[in-house]
Amino acid sequence: MFFHIILERNLQLHPRYFGPHLRDKLVSKLIHDVEGTCSGRHGFVVAVTAVENIGKGLIRDGTGYVTFPVKYQCVVFRPFKGEILESVVTMVNKMGFFAEAGPVQIFVSNHLIPDDMAFQAGDVPCYETSDGSVRIQKDSEVRLKIVGTRVDATEIFCIGTIKDDFLGLTGDPGGAA
Amino acid sequence: MAKHYDDDEEDEEVEEEEDEMDEIEQEEEEEEEEEEEEDDRKGRKRKYKRSQFIDDVAEEDEDDDDEKEAPRKRRHRRGSEFIDDSAAVASDEDEEEEEGEEDFIHDEGADLHDEEEARRMHRRPPSLLDQDDQNEDVEDLERMIQQRYGRQEYEQYDESEATEVEQQALLPSVRDPKLWMIKCQLGHEREAAVCLMQKYLDLEGQDPPLLIKSAVALDQLKGYIYVESEKESSVRQAIKGMRMIFQSMVKLVPIKEMTDVLSVEKKSIDIDKENWVRVKSGIYKGDIGKVLDVDHVKQRATIKLVPRVDLQDVLAKLEGRDTGKKRMGFKPPQRFISIQEVKNMRIPVERKRENSRGDYYDQFANMRFSDGYLIKNVSLRSIHTREVVPSLDELQKFHKPGEDENADALGLPSTLSSRKKGHFMKGDAVVVVEGDLRNLMGIVEKVDEDNVEVLPKNIDLKGNVTFKVRQLTKFFKTGDHVKVISGKHEGATGMIVKVEDISVVILSDTSKEDIHVLKDSIVESSEVTSGLSKLGDYELHDLVLLDQTTVGVIVRVEPDGCQILKGTPEKQEVVTVKQREMRKKIFDKNSSAQDREGNVLNLKDIVRVVEGPFKTKQGPVEHIHRGILFMCDRHYLENGGFICIKARSCVAVGGARSGHDRLPMTPLVSSFGGLKSPSHYLQSPSRSTTNDHFLASNGHGGRHGGRKGDDGLIGRTVKIRQGPFKGYRGRVKDATDSTVRIELESQMKVVTVRRDQLSDVGEVPANFRESPRDGNGSETPTHPSRTPMHSSYMMTPMRDPSATPIHDGMRTPMRDRAWNPYSAMTPLRDQSGDEAILGSWHSRAASPYQPGTPIAHRSYEAPTPGVGWANTPGGNYSEAGTPNDMTSNYGPPSPYIPGTPGGLPMTPAAPAYLPGTPGGQPMTPGIGVLDPSSPASGMGGHNSEAKWGLPDIVVSIRKPGGEPQIAVIKEVLQDGSCRVALGASGEGEHLTASQSEMELVLPKKNDRIKIVFGEMRGISGKLIGIDGGDGIVKTDDNFDVKILEMDFLGKIAV
Repeated sequence: MFFHIILERNLQLHPRYFGPHLRDKLVSKLIHDVEGTCSGRHGFVVAVTAVENIGKGLIRDGTGYVTFPVKYQCVVFRPFKGEILESVVTMVNKMGFFAEAGPVQIFVSNHLIPDDMAFQAGDVPCYETSDGSVRIQKDSEVRLKIVGTRVDATEIFCIGTIKDDFLGLTGDPGGAA
Repeated sequence: MAKHYDDDEEDEEVEEEEDEMDEIEQEEEEEEEEEEEEDDRKGRKRKYKRSQFIDDVAEEDEDDDDEKEAPRKRRHRRGSEFIDDSAAVASDEDEEEEEGEEDFIHDEGADLHDEEEARRMHRRPPSLLDQDDQNEDVEDLERMIQQRYGRQEYEQYDESEATEVEQQALLPSVRDPKLWMIKCQLGHEREAAVCLMQKYLDLEGQDPPLLIKSAVALDQLKGYIYVESEKESSVRQAIKGMRMIFQSMVKLVPIKEMTDVLSVEKKSIDIDKENWVRVKSGIYKGDIGKVLDVDHVKQRATIKLVPRVDLQDVLAKLEGRDTGKKRMGFKPPQRFISIQEVKNMRIPVERKRENSRGDYYDQFANMRFSDGYLIKNVSLRSIHTREVVPSLDELQKFHKPGEDENADALGLPSTLSSRKKGHFMKGDAVVVVEGDLRNLMGIVEKVDEDNVEVLPKNIDLKGNVTFKVRQLTKFFKTGDHVKVISGKHEGATGMIVKVEDISVVILSDTSKEDIHVLKDSIVESSEVTSGLSKLGDYELHDLVLLDQTTVGVIVRVEPDGCQILKGTPEKQEVVTVKQREMRKKIFDKNSSAQDREGNVLNLKDIVRVVEGPFKTKQGPVEHIHRGILFMCDRHYLENGGFICIKARSCVAVGGARSGHDRLPMTPLVSSFGGLKSPSHYLQSPSRSTTNDHFLASNGHGGRHGGRKGDDGLIGRTVKIRQGPFKGYRGRVKDATDSTVRIELESQMKVVTVRRDQLSDVGEVPANFRESPRDGNGSETPTHPSRTPMHSSYMMTPMRDPSATPIHDGMRTPMRDRAWNPYSAMTPLRDQSGDEAILGSWHSRAASPYQPGTPIAHRSYEAPTPGVGWANTPGGNYSEAGTPNDMTSNYGPPSPYIPGTPGGLPMTPAAPAYLPGTPGGQPMTPGIGVLDPSSPASGMGGHNSEAKWGLPDIVVSIRKPGGEPQIAVIKEVLQDGSCRVALGASGEGEHLTASQSEMELVLPKKNDRIKIVFGEMRGISGKLIGIDGGDGIVKTDDNFDVKILEMDFLGKIAV
């Protein structure tokens, strides 16, 4: 699920950037620092949408670096148990497949793939129904439900299932989506 | 007899048996009276009385306890009572020592009974004949028996109250008669004891009497009997002339061990049908079996096992052939026997019906089988019955495939019943599996021995409900994060992907493997571990020495051993070894190896496999041993991601993470030019290093030129002539009049070297082209391509794009990238947390399926110091940078697509560049025969081969901006360009393609090929095998088998 929230962060800036573009500098550094990171609490920081407030800088003794407290708005993405996501399959193996929904990686174990789908090894490993009508391979688009998340300080890993109504393949590789 | 008792009393003056002694004295008095009255018959009468007495005792004792031989006098009775007491204290430890062979014992026992019976019969007649005596004696006898029993009751009562201290006092002391162990003939132990008894009786009252107190034969001790006596000489005298006793072997039993001799093990074999047992010996040792039937009398059980039968052996034996391979310790693997298969092998099979059970079974080679299981009749001693908990693996193995789920259900109760206590903990979610409240869920509130208090989830039920342990099972849901607390996978954590009856499947956090564990052995936990990580001195992922030549990396630690990925690059072999089998840990911190390009690889360098089955795998080097790398690819799921590979099959991707200065520098910053060290690397992993290198040098050189202007050395690649870094090559980062700071190519280091220790390697452009070549020995074709690129691009224009566009492009694309799922660029998607953002970005960008976007990357990665090496071979980068799959897979959403082919516009201008693109594979002969001297010749070499097109060859055509297409060359034109027909078999439209737009299509095994390069150019043949980067070709004309580089081969259209 996406959230638009306000976060705060202290940025350290080298004194050489002090000048007319200081604010730009801070903003770009902020973006660089936080976008794409993941905190267990908030999830993945997807984008910084605005900088609310930049506080007064504090010069650090010794180094000359200056610490600015920056408040910014950002869009975060945090997967939840029970959430339904569309994802792209990145890897298929006999134990299941890995899919990605944006930044989050989801593993769908073969126990959580409908029983009528079986693993087919080969050049392009895939899960296929016996009649071949549904085929999940790399780059397939799959709708899945998250059944478990493991949230570390810097990573969120999910386990998903497609063993439920309306879940499963939604688009073939290369298909427009 | 009186005399005998006198002796007794003299010897032992045990205070607490005074009562008893009084009685004895009474008895003696009576006997003395008799003595006076009937002097003449004395001896005989006494003997008679005695024998009656003994018979009684013997019978009684035999009823009591089979194990004990009939004692012959009261003294012994007292002793035996005492020993019965101590029997309760007896330990179970001896149990294992007395294995098997009870057939023997039982038979023997039966014989002995007969013998005794016979003897009694033999003895009785004289006593019966003596009617008078009998009458007279009846009263005495009665009285005596009463006294005895009365006393016994009293004693028993007394003893039951006896404290431990009192019991201690009963233990034999130095003043008691000693116990002697005597060797006798095997199987004649009881006989010997009985004979001794008889001898004692016969000699009683005579001179000299037999001065022994007792003789004992123990069933469990073969070939020995015990005799109780004061002196060894008495024993020797007693055994004199007995043929079943070896006269010489008389040994004293130490006082401490005396109680052990007569300790009786309390045997309560609680074994029942459907129980699990474990076989103690034989080829089935350790196997689990299920009890079908128990015969407590015969002490035997019928058990069901998974057969370990080698049918070939059986057949061989039947045919009288001696297989000659009596392999000791060899166990045939467990396998269910199919009777059909046996019959097919012409082994005679009998079908029989078992009387007791009414089941049919098949019999061959003296073995009985039913439903594929072996039915075996074993003695209870040869199986472990207590606390047999089959592991899940064993249960699964025992469960015959094809059997319905009932088998599991059968396995369930016994598994549950035999589980250990205390596996429920407060807070566990449980569900009731037995009783009225079945399926009730709740939370454990309190655990008390066998009872568990549960707070039910159902609100209607107020208060706690108490259940027995066996009524409950833990409750887990799919997706729960759990930790394994016992068993083979102890310590592992993971998420539950499937819940079954008694077990769950867990996806391990670290190894991403499925683990099958019993519900009982897991607890919910949020912690993340890989399971055990230490065994003795060894830790997970240690490099260990297995034997003189073999090394391996520990990929998994189990409670009793490690799984080790052996250092055999040919095949990934995992062995399980015990701790003692590991010789030692190898410390390879400082070891290094050379990759395919000759780059030095150190630990933690990121390498990419370029040949063999693990091609495209990529990851940090974890261990190095004699040219073998153990690398870890997170996307490789087996062996914890570890791959053992020859260093020569890899190329280094980037340097080790520098670990310092990750301060993100935006391009804006670098364009300030005021930057110190980091800006030297305009690293862009997704691009060809050549470009990168080139840009870097330009930007760098330009900057410095602008600033300093006076030192032309900065930015050049130089070689160090002297000093500790002699022979090293590096780029000059800074220069003063006397010293130069050089960033070494081969190490993550900037060193300061005196100016006079350098040998300049010429002008900047030349440097870049030439320097790696000298050092490497082998060369990718991408290298020569630098030159054209370089020359076609002036420095100035290059510098501009490196500044302005980056500046502009940086924000938008970046944001884009963060949430655009297709760009797949977001960091930390799969990297370990310890990798910093930049590091992970870098490695991700470099991984094969993520087409990098040059601009974006440059803008980000630019300042990262040391993320990539200047001398990093371009192979993978160029592949990643190749725009083809990027455009096809990832459509318009990515704003960089227009920017992506940014590398491309350069290429047509440099015709030699494109052939080099696909992973640096086209190893043109010019490279093989390296010409180190002049770059021009390298170029020339390449150019001369430029006209490689041959008719009928399949190529992939890539027009700028377009997707690659498969086509077949129809005609080769004068200028090297070709007329091609699109389509795999050339049925599509014709067009003309320049050499640079074409790439060979790599042939597969059994494809028809044509040799495109080299002396044999033009010859056609068949690719009969592929060995790494080499193809094995059978030529058409003379059926020669040649080994050629794959890149020399062009596939012929079908």
